[in-house]
Amino acid sequence: MRTGAAAWLALAGLVARAGYDRTARRVRTFNLRPLSRPLSRRIIGTMSLRAPARGQSTSELEPTPQLYLSVGLIAGAVIALQIAIMRIFSVGSWAHFGSLVVSLAMLGFGLTSAIMCVRKDWFERHWQRVAMAALMLFGPLTVAANLAAQQTPFNAIFLVSDPAQKWRLFGNFLLYMLPFLAGAFYLGTVFLKAQRLFGRVYFADLTGSGLCGLVFLGAMYLLAPENLLMVPLALWCAGSVLWFMALGRPRAIAWVSAVAIGCGVAHLAAPSLGLASLAVSDYKGVSYARKFPDSERVYERASPFGYLEVYASSYLHFAPGLSDNAAFNLPAMPTNAYLGLYIDGEGPSGIIRDLPAAETAYFRYLPMIYPYLIKQAPDTFVVQFGGGISTAIALKSGSKSVTVAEGNPTVLSAFRNDKGLREFTGDVLNNPNVKVIDYEGRLYLAHTDRRYDIIDLSLADSAGLSSPGGFAIVEKFAYSREAMTSYMRALKEGGVLSVTLWNKEEPPKSVLKLYATMAAAAREADGDNIADRFFVVASYLSTASVLYKRGGFTPEEVAKLRAHTRAMSFDEIYYPGFAFAPTDAATVLQDYKNSIFPDGPTQDPDAASEGRKGGEGPPPENGTLPATTMGQMAWHHLVHGGWDELARRYVFDTRLLTNDRPYFAAYVKPADLLRVSDRLELLQDEWGFLLVWATLAIACVAALSLVLLPLAFGWRTIFSRNPGKFRTIVYFACLGAGYIMVEVGLISKFIEALSNATVSASVLITGMLVCSGAGSLVSERYFARARSIMPRIFLAIGALLIGYGLALDSALDWIGTFPYALRLLFSFALIFPPAFLMGFPMPTAMTLLARLGKDHMFLWAWGINGCFSVVGAALVPVIATSFGLGAVLMASGCAYLLATVGFFAVLLPLAAPTSRAAVT
Amino acid sequence: MRRRTFLTCAAAAFGAAARAPLAWAVPKPYSWEAAPPTTNSEAFVKWMVANRGEEPHFLAQRFGRCQMLVVNHDVLDERNKRAFLMTPREEFTLKRNQGRAYDHAFLDIGFGVTISGPHVVSRMTSSLDVKLGEKVLEIGTGSGYQSAYLANLTDKVWSIEIIKPLAERTRDVLDGLIGRGYSEYQAISTRHADGYYGWPQAAPFDKIIVTCGIDHVPPPLLQQLRLGGIMVIPIGPPGAQRLLKIVKEQETDGTIKVARVDIYGGRIVPFVPFTKIDGDTIKGTHNQR
Repeated sequence: MRTGAAAWLALAGLVARAGYDRTARRVRTFNLRPLSRPLSRRIIGTMSLRAPARGQSTSELEPTPQLYLSVGLIAGAVIALQIAIMRIFSVGSWAHFGSLVVSLAMLGFGLTSAIMCVRKDWFERHWQRVAMAALMLFGPLTVAANLAAQQTPFNAIFLVSDPAQKWRLFGNFLLYMLPFLAGAFYLGTVFLKAQRLFGRVYFADLTGSGLCGLVFLGAMYLLAPENLLMVPLALWCAGSVLWFMALGRPRAIAWVSAVAIGCGVAHLAAPSLGLASLAVSDYKGVSYARKFPDSERVYERASPFGYLEVYASSYLHFAPGLSDNAAFNLPAMPTNAYLGLYIDGEGPSGIIRDLPAAETAYFRYLPMIYPYLIKQAPDTFVVQFGGGISTAIALKSGSKSVTVAEGNPTVLSAFRNDKGLREFTGDVLNNPNVKVIDYEGRLYLAHTDRRYDIIDLSLADSAGLSSPGGFAIVEKFAYSREAMTSYMRALKEGGVLSVTLWNKEEPPKSVLKLYATMAAAAREADGDNIADRFFVVASYLSTASVLYKRGGFTPEEVAKLRAHTRAMSFDEIYYPGFAFAPTDAATVLQDYKNSIFPDGPTQDPDAASEGRKGGEGPPPENGTLPATTMGQMAWHHLVHGGWDELARRYVFDTRLLTNDRPYFAAYVKPADLLRVSDRLELLQDEWGFLLVWATLAIACVAALSLVLLPLAFGWRTIFSRNPGKFRTIVYFACLGAGYIMVEVGLISKFIEALSNATVSASVLITGMLVCSGAGSLVSERYFARARSIMPRIFLAIGALLIGYGLALDSALDWIGTFPYALRLLFSFALIFPPAFLMGFPMPTAMTLLARLGKDHMFLWAWGINGCFSVVGAALVPVIATSFGLGAVLMASGCAYLLATVGFFAVLLPLAAPTSRAAVT
Repeated sequence: MRRRTFLTCAAAAFGAAARAPLAWAVPKPYSWEAAPPTTNSEAFVKWMVANRGEEPHFLAQRFGRCQMLVVNHDVLDERNKRAFLMTPREEFTLKRNQGRAYDHAFLDIGFGVTISGPHVVSRMTSSLDVKLGEKVLEIGTGSGYQSAYLANLTDKVWSIEIIKPLAERTRDVLDGLIGRGYSEYQAISTRHADGYYGWPQAAPFDKIIVTCGIDHVPPPLLQQLRLGGIMVIPIGPPGAQRLLKIVKEQETDGTIKVARVDIYGGRIVPFVPFTKIDGDTIKGTHNQR
């Protein structure tokens, strides 16, 4: 179930990272508000247009409504294209590679800026032709690049083993960059020529960006993923027509309309000619379902919450974590008991049929049955509905009442409204004994007065059977220490919290983080005495279940649970009274380390081959598997002390999940990142995290190259009269990185209160654009006093962001208690102060550059800002996974404080022209 | 003829000739006693060309990879070594991947399925400890390479594939090889079906290999496993799979018990070899460049 949310989150992150906000950055760069009249005159005076030479375009831009609409629509088309490409990657292959490709493609804006900076005069002379060419090419390049990329898709699963795949990925990046280049040239040209209209153009761009983003969100309800590309095409067509209307070019209108129709037809007709417009990888979960001989898609729905498909097939079998002993104690497993649920092609999650009692005997062999062994007629809360297995078990196990939460409205809608699904599931969500909470269970439990006998959080994600592309970095707030504490406090006295997680990793990673998180939550809820609170079992390479009982387990209950564990042949990891005998503890730790990092080179191949220390030694005498020993050791130290030292010695990062750092991913310790580069195949499930580092490295190199490009092509001539160049670069780099980090960081953070990544992204993106726009509008009043006002603005931004970094958790937790409309309102209220102030620095500095006649610096600043916004976006997950989301905001605050220093360089006037410069 | 035309034609002819050996017939009939030399690459290639009619280029690569398997303890005895050396892996890959057949890598075979890397296949097969005459069931025929490998260890192999076109294509590959004289593959029975239910008509099996993703061990397979039998299942992403070993035993009180262990007897070992081939020799670790 979470896969869809994860994919969308990646999309939302991208939207914020490289798209929506990226455009905002670009736009802000050119934001020179309508100025007070005398000041406007002065600026226009300094930026007077040159007399047209022979053969040059002579007309100037007129401030018509068509012009503003055109800018808004083209800016919106660029945003829509970014989201569309992300959707194509999410559904066709894997979202985080789409994020990589589009993030890097956005560097095209930096490239455009550098080129325009170097050849400014040429672009000023030929602006009409440049804009026309860019507009004419945007649509065809969009369709052609997508079709070409889809015919040569790269396959993430072979990224390490097949050298050709790296080139395919690079090819995807180059192809998808082409339409962005066209869009960047158009917008760059407009801004270059619209200096005296900057304020209004900026406003048009900002509003257009916001509205078009919302239009795309709406379109996601109507269009299948493969046709979402029609949205940027439609926006581009409308924007182009309006542009040529503004210029009074009727023939061009006819041409661009014809080109647009051709593009639309080409995109829609391509599949019928054997050219896929969205090629779904054979390795996606849904591809397997489609190959089953009797498979039939019984439900389909596109929405911003993911592309949901449900397949029926007799080949679908689910029994997550089933004890092997079921084979010898049950006559048969029920047939056709499940449908397969896929979100964005990922899955399956099992949708369970309404089974008759005779067919539910196998429930006893599932790990989710544990709490029901010791609680009779409980009031049960299921934290996540998923495909309904936990709910079915709760109902069949005699629950007096069942309350079930589900945060994905598309899933809820499917189960509540679709006739076929309602019949298959026995209309479970409309069952009078089932109460449905239509938002995240953790938020409900944190603030309800109701108390439950059993709270179940079991296998919320699909088994990940088809996740060879690795897992994106996804916020798992449902598993954070704060969430666990809420669950524990929502239990009646003697109530049981049951958490089951996949345990298919070797060396163990996620389960150790879960253990640490639950132990920390228990200490928060109960104090230090937690020895009798837990009962933990695992099945090797299957599942692990942690039971927490409020008030502690009785000896009778422990005996009963242990007997069941033996009957199931599960492994005991911890129970009250468990005595861990650490005979081979040190060896296990060292061997796990050696299994990934044999310590140093060796001259003896034999020694190297088997991991030397681990492989060559005798097997453990007691026959206990290392993973079991590791789990037992972890619980021993979590309960009796010494966990920190154990975690330090363990090969992977096992820090607990908190609301500030809610990630199962990112288990490679940062210090080991360089050491894993030659063994990536061992860490395939960490590729989402490693790709973030790769993106950051590439973005840094590319940004640096693009920033330096104008230097290579004439630093002396272009910037000979610009003092304070370095500090100016620092200024715009800080703004570029700082703004995007706030935005992306807050999107992740606000999920905590808004409980949905899509809503959070929409609120944050729109909210920040609008608020910053308002700030920008107001900032023009203070241009004359910029020298004294701006330092205070930077100080205020820095203080606000650092304050948010420290205190936002509490505020969001509080906001989460209100009805949804109020939550949205409070969210906007929280966004407003920093976003409003963050609207000041860019237009103020750009106005000043223009006012001072620093035309080249004006263009260069655009590129620097753009490049560093890509760098900043890549920095967010790196900082968040290492130090937490609060640290992201604090780092942004520091960036704004640092920008204060650079601001005074912006104020420096041009040096007097030397005779050489004058000649040049 | 112009020089450029001549060279182009010559190159094309050479390329065609390089592919031609794949269609050669096996010169000598298969024998369980027949064993290729295992100590010297040149002798091995010579013997295989004479007895199996295979292409020397692939044979040299196969021998090199076998050395790596031995060093990495992926093959533990002469029988498994022989099975690896007697199985033409290049016949089970896609044409475009034949040049990488003996790389330490899993390869795409279409339909969202891979042929596992040679180290995984060998280690998995070694852990099964298949003896001649034992009945082995494979769930997930895939390329057919695993079945072919097994057919050099026992004369009773059953294999089930869920994807119909893949099942048919692999059957054609096996039939083609049988037609060319690989008579040992006659021991392989294949069918397209849902592997979840096993092959009850041929049960019980001494050994079962499951190579498909599922969230639990299918009870029918455990039921079709003979007492004392072994099942092996690779778990995890293709590049970093961990091999789960399941042993079916009977307790003294008569109850049947299933034990989950790993194939390493409780030891922690790196699954991916940290060694590499440099020419004919095996060198260093991953970190030694």
